[in-house]
Amino acid sequence: MQQLNPSEISEVIKKRIENLDVTSQAQNEGTVVSVSDGIVRIHGLADAMYGEMIEFEGGVYGLAMNLERDSVGAVVLGEYKGLAEGQTAKCTGRILEVPVGEALLGRVVDTLGTPVDGKGPIEAQASAPVERVAPGVIARQGVDQPMQTGYKAVDSMVPIGRGQRELIIGDRQTGKTALAVDAIINQKGSGVKCIYVAVGQKQSSIANVVRKLEEHDAMDHTIIVAAGAADPAAMQFLAPYAGCAMGEYFLDRGEDALIIFDDLTKQAWAYRQISLLLKRPPGREAYPGDVFYLHSRLLERACRVNADYVKSVSGVEGQTGSLTALPIIETQGGDVSAFVPTNVISITDGQIFLETNLFNSGIRPAMNAGISVSRVGGAAQTKIIKKLGGGIRLALAQYRELAAFAQFASDLDDATRKQLEHGKAVTELMKQGQYAPMSTAEMGLVIYAANEGYLEDVEVNKIGAFEAALLSYANSQFAELMGKINETGGYNDEIASGLKECIESFKSSQTW
Amino acid sequence: MAELTTLARPYAKAVFAEAQEKNALDAWSGDLALLAAYAANDEMASLLVHPSLTADQQAEALKDVCGDKLTDTAKNLVAVLAENKRLTLLPEIAVLFEELKSQLENTVEVDVTTAFRLTKEQSEALKKALTAKLNCEVRISSKVDKSLIGGAIIRAGDLVIDGSLTGKLSKLAEAMKS
Repeated sequence: MQQLNPSEISEVIKKRIENLDVTSQAQNEGTVVSVSDGIVRIHGLADAMYGEMIEFEGGVYGLAMNLERDSVGAVVLGEYKGLAEGQTAKCTGRILEVPVGEALLGRVVDTLGTPVDGKGPIEAQASAPVERVAPGVIARQGVDQPMQTGYKAVDSMVPIGRGQRELIIGDRQTGKTALAVDAIINQKGSGVKCIYVAVGQKQSSIANVVRKLEEHDAMDHTIIVAAGAADPAAMQFLAPYAGCAMGEYFLDRGEDALIIFDDLTKQAWAYRQISLLLKRPPGREAYPGDVFYLHSRLLERACRVNADYVKSVSGVEGQTGSLTALPIIETQGGDVSAFVPTNVISITDGQIFLETNLFNSGIRPAMNAGISVSRVGGAAQTKIIKKLGGGIRLALAQYRELAAFAQFASDLDDATRKQLEHGKAVTELMKQGQYAPMSTAEMGLVIYAANEGYLEDVEVNKIGAFEAALLSYANSQFAELMGKINETGGYNDEIASGLKECIESFKSSQTW
Repeated sequence: MAELTTLARPYAKAVFAEAQEKNALDAWSGDLALLAAYAANDEMASLLVHPSLTADQQAEALKDVCGDKLTDTAKNLVAVLAENKRLTLLPEIAVLFEELKSQLENTVEVDVTTAFRLTKEQSEALKKALTAKLNCEVRISSKVDKSLIGGAIIRAGDLVIDGSLTGKLSKLAEAMKS
């Protein structure tokens, strides 16, 4: 620990006193009428704006959310135990802002951007309002660059593009967070900045994510916004917007960012709590009338913007920016027709369904390929995966159809049996461990092997070992080919013959 | 508190419109002040919400204590309020009425709290400055509060200008803490 330097401290104090602005300013003041469950009713404050910060005694801040004729309803941001009836509340004239910038990378912060990881204060370059209107039509550009998650099942069948919103939906314990965390790990070295917003989660789960990201060197490009289960509902409700503001900093500067909202169900719960306490009329499932807008305005902020927009906002030339969002929704008992899941499904550009029975039968990621879709990602896929991935989708679709049918038939014709076996092999091949993202070339290679029938003579329970052996062989013996695929992502006869040669030489010389 | 103001507003507006029509603003102002004072009285207040009394009885009780100081229209107001079980709103109605009245006359009630009694010159200077700032006639009611140490706090409705030494010190304290 450093030695305290008394003179230095006096110096600091002197400076602070000198710089302190003690000029009296006209302020709008009101009186606290009631404090209950984090909601404060204030009499007066006639000039309060919607969404304005309200300052209470003792330096506690609130957010004006209900402007009524003679009173203002505000939610307290933080501890509200010290507040009492009769205290004064002041308008600040400021809209809620959070610090943004590169300095936040590698840090864990709360909703207001205050560090909670014990690594000291953050010298943020700028601050940005938490709520912002999404870029308009003119500012936007089509999604045409891939956002690789590193999962072959996702990247081949439900590709995600930079600037897309892809929902991850499933019951508890189906690997939703794991998928999202792996997507962050896979961005290492790609220049994509990641923001992980944890809403209403256990502190232990958040700590776990942080530790895993640190273990895989993925914290350097990641900001974690943590609003845990013990934080006030207002913080949980605002955390996704705060995270989004941090992501927009990179978007505005022509960079690519990835934001994960884990999860929006809990945010909707927090918002429902606030709304009910503010006496807004409840609607379906007791959510307020604007719960759709709650998520639509948030997810609309994830987009790809063109170079003109980036130039006009930050002055960076010739760069397009993007903010990719992976919202997570937790369903109860697989019920996707509940209010919030249907809302978010309709807002996003596709969804990845994770299912409990698939997860329990050992298929991980437990993605249901039949109902998972990506509405815009196809245009952003790398050529090689796009070309080869079609076969995988088809094989799995045929397999599902036949598998149900084949349960009743004892003897099957040769073609059907072959298709069933191929389907089984592909299902097996699509399994992938956690924290083991794959590169484009690796995915291309194994998918090529499946499409071209190189898995036919491999036993189903050996496929995992076959894949692992093939990949390590290719990475050592065919490093040049793999490097080329990773670099260009292209697909042509030369690459196809290279892959063929690689697999054939592997099968003839190696064991698994 | 907030809700009471909301409930009282239509009554205050109605009374104000009536007063304006009959050109009896000052008379109404006096009547309302009187009614408000009685209604705010603890014993009277408990009578006004007593469940065993009918609306008429409550109205009569209030009219009786006011004696013959009330005009007939003011008595009618009491009757109407009693009918709607809103007699307890009288203090709020009086406050809102005064607000509307000062709005019409383009005047503002300003509370000035100072550490020491204001001299006549200071009071005049303050009045001049506030008239310029608030853009309307200012009526100053001053109070002395030693705990301010120095300076003054000026209050005009929701607008507060804190120029007191205590306020500045607490600002300094907060800046040092953060």
